[in-house]
Amino acid sequence: GAGPGRSARFSAPWRPTGAERPRRCWPCGGGCSVGHCHPLVVQAAHEQNQVLNTNSRYLHDNIVDYAQRLSETLPEKLCVFYFLNSGSEANDLALRLARQYTGHWDVVVLDHAYHGHLSSLIDISPYKFRGLDGQKEWVHVAPLPDTYRGPYREDHPNPAVAYASEVKRVVSSVQEKGRKIAAFFAESLPSVGGQIIPPAGYFPEVAEHVRRAGGVFVADEIQVGFGRVGKHFWAFQLQGEDFVPDIVTMGKSIGNGHPVACVATTQAVARAFEATGVEYFNTFGGSPVSCAVGLAVLDVLEKEQLQAHAACVGSFLMELLGQQKAKHPIIGDIRGVGLFVGVDLIKDKATRTPATEEADYLVSRLKENYILLSTDGPGRNVLKFKPPMCFSLDNAQHVVAKLDAILTDMEEKMRSCETLRLQPEAALLSPPLEKMKHPTQIHY
Amino acid sequence: MFDEKGERYLDCINNVAHVGHCHPEVVKAALKQMEVLNTNSRFLHDNIVEYAKRLAATLPEQLSVCYFTNSGSEANDLALRLARQFRGHQDVITLDHAYHGHLSSLIEISPYKFRKGKDVKKEFVHVAPTPDIYRGKYRENHADPASAYADEVKKIIEEAQNRGRKIAAFIAESMQSCGGQIIPPAGYFQKVAEYVRGAGGVVIADEVQVGFGRVGKHFWSFQMHGKDFVPDIVTMGKPMGNGHPIACVVTTKEIAEAFSSSGMEYFNTYGGNPVSSAVGLAVLDVIENEDLQGNATRVGTYLTELLNRQKAKHTLIGDVRGVGLFVGIDLVKDRQKRTPATAEAQHVIYKMKENRVLLSADGPHRNVLKIKPPMCFTKEDAKFMVDQLDGVLTVLEEAIGAQTESVVPENTPCRTKMPKEAPSELLSDGTPDPKENPGQKRNRLCADKPSLLSKRLKT
Repeated sequence: GAGPGRSARFSAPWRPTGAERPRRCWPCGGGCSVGHCHPLVVQAAHEQNQVLNTNSRYLHDNIVDYAQRLSETLPEKLCVFYFLNSGSEANDLALRLARQYTGHWDVVVLDHAYHGHLSSLIDISPYKFRGLDGQKEWVHVAPLPDTYRGPYREDHPNPAVAYASEVKRVVSSVQEKGRKIAAFFAESLPSVGGQIIPPAGYFPEVAEHVRRAGGVFVADEIQVGFGRVGKHFWAFQLQGEDFVPDIVTMGKSIGNGHPVACVATTQAVARAFEATGVEYFNTFGGSPVSCAVGLAVLDVLEKEQLQAHAACVGSFLMELLGQQKAKHPIIGDIRGVGLFVGVDLIKDKATRTPATEEADYLVSRLKENYILLSTDGPGRNVLKFKPPMCFSLDNAQHVVAKLDAILTDMEEKMRSCETLRLQPEAALLSPPLEKMKHPTQIHY
Repeated sequence: MFDEKGERYLDCINNVAHVGHCHPEVVKAALKQMEVLNTNSRFLHDNIVEYAKRLAATLPEQLSVCYFTNSGSEANDLALRLARQFRGHQDVITLDHAYHGHLSSLIEISPYKFRKGKDVKKEFVHVAPTPDIYRGKYRENHADPASAYADEVKKIIEEAQNRGRKIAAFIAESMQSCGGQIIPPAGYFQKVAEYVRGAGGVVIADEVQVGFGRVGKHFWSFQMHGKDFVPDIVTMGKPMGNGHPIACVVTTKEIAEAFSSSGMEYFNTYGGNPVSSAVGLAVLDVIENEDLQGNATRVGTYLTELLNRQKAKHTLIGDVRGVGLFVGIDLVKDRQKRTPATAEAQHVIYKMKENRVLLSADGPHRNVLKIKPPMCFTKEDAKFMVDQLDGVLTVLEEAIGAQTESVVPENTPCRTKMPKEAPSELLSDGTPDPKENPGQKRNRLCADKPSLLSKRLKT
């Protein structure tokens, strides 16, 4: 049951019906893409599990079929696929591919990026290495292209070029030190950095600078791929028809919860890697079951037209949130595309100071109301929405209504300062701020 | 296993399908949980706790904290991080021919991989001789190979310390698989642990290939070395989920606390999810209910017995080594010199496949036939496999003129006139170029880089 934090099940299907209401939780963040326990995906896994689950040393159609289907969603150049089990494994391989192909070592990343939990990836994730192991000398950090809180904002005439020039500057300073860039690594839509939508044109400019220096462009689509952005299948496609990364990594939503991940790259990069004579083998990667699951997810995305659905519900959600922004001063910014949305909470409109404690408190209150959300961003103040793709218009309406009610309540409390600490009823209905601190740094 | 034509093959290598391909109990457990909930470990769920408890119960008491990941590689990477965080040391001692995974951090400590490629050994990596008493530095005729090999590690530690370096860990597969089914001599690990801990390092036992009762007598291979040997960190993977991507790192409270107090939180999106945990639990249940550990001992002993009889018969077999259902057959061209019979091994693999038996070859010279089948392997399976092997070896030996000891005396002169490699007729299963001697071509391929086909069988 829904005891203190213990989850036992999610009811399915996701379309709310009156009878099932009390027990349901609305998750607004997580790796499940087509809906928890989607029956078609479960069936595909079960059927294959009963027949054969072995490794890629045994030729099997599933892996070929799956690679083929994936290649159809991508630009033609990206036609070689490596299958693995997690986004972290994928990014580690991407790093190896980049280094092998270019012969270079250094990596340029964005501030506040998070690419995974492996040793190699902590080194390229400022989100992790700041305050821990520190920055390695072969890692170079460019400013996050955040037009709300970064150095170049919405009032700047051309933030895409401005941010891209920062990368150019980083690349030049690296070269001056006699070092060489292997890759520029970026999440197509930085999630941990606060649900950031890089300005259009940024990636193509960056790619130019990086490639001129002999490096490759790695697009980390682990959080955002598979139709989430609505308009396109892949988030990097928002950056223009002509923009094609050299390497794309995917994970999380790819298997609806099953451990699957993938790296797609060009023949040139793959050949350079092969030429080392050291083969790449991953015991579980590309197994018949994982591929069957991946194929089923693609089937569901197509049959249920979840990409279009994401576009539709996403814009509706943004509209509703926009109305809330006009109403509640704590909402500094609403940004998003498709079902990837961020609500930036601030203490002050002029300074845009992150409202960290308030965001924390808000999330706990939402959970009491059976809505699962979490925060991110360096100020841990951005509510992040990235629900399963079957999230409906009703779900959006419901969540925003609750958000509205809680924010209104919070504002009333703040208006008369002493009520925050003294009112006994308040303490009963909504426990004091300190007790409501839930684990921060939640990222899915 | 069955191919697309429905032909049946005896699988002697898929240790990943630990309790048997598509075991219905495991499949059922996965389905049941998949229908209910599959999310990440930020949502509290009983399965992960239950699973951790069951795993910890199989291990010595100090090993009580479990981190769940998805692959042996992820597990080994985390083990390194834990070891380094513990005292802030960096250096790692690894064994020659070791293979710990495909990630950047692990290729650095896997001579099996970095020696092949263009990668250079990193300065924080120290390679100790693999404790192989058949082909290594100290062999079965040495008075005390365990101490001799352990002293090599001691030497490395001293040299490193003299250069101001600090050892974070000694990592070793409890039994090397890619290294050629190597079983370290008794006493080796205890001594190594003493030296390593004395230098402030920890001992990591990589059980990814060999855990979960494969050795028969014990659940974990490291337990063969005695109750007084307890690693600081144990990694497990492969067989854990019978094919489902699950792996785990188990360590002591002390090491876990040092890691979390660093402020570094460990989160793995899929690791420890309810489905993976349910699958892992089901595998443990089957191992227990079907007494697979007992089976491994019984069948393993029988298999080794049969193979030893083959060794007496075929001079190609230099050594038979193994414990439980983890066995290696070391093929040699010359028993005195122990020259690896690489081409012959590849040939045997292909012929065995034609006879519907799946085997593979490994070891630095790719001449060790490795046997690590699903744990439901029976005595009948063992007999069938060995009978086929006998047939293949007999034909092969006749062709290369190697005499079985019972037939021809040692000093027959015609032997020196025979080519060292197996003749072309036997190796030309589809090799395209008729002009080049396929035997030589195949040898060159094997020596220089893995041929596509041989790559496929290396598991």
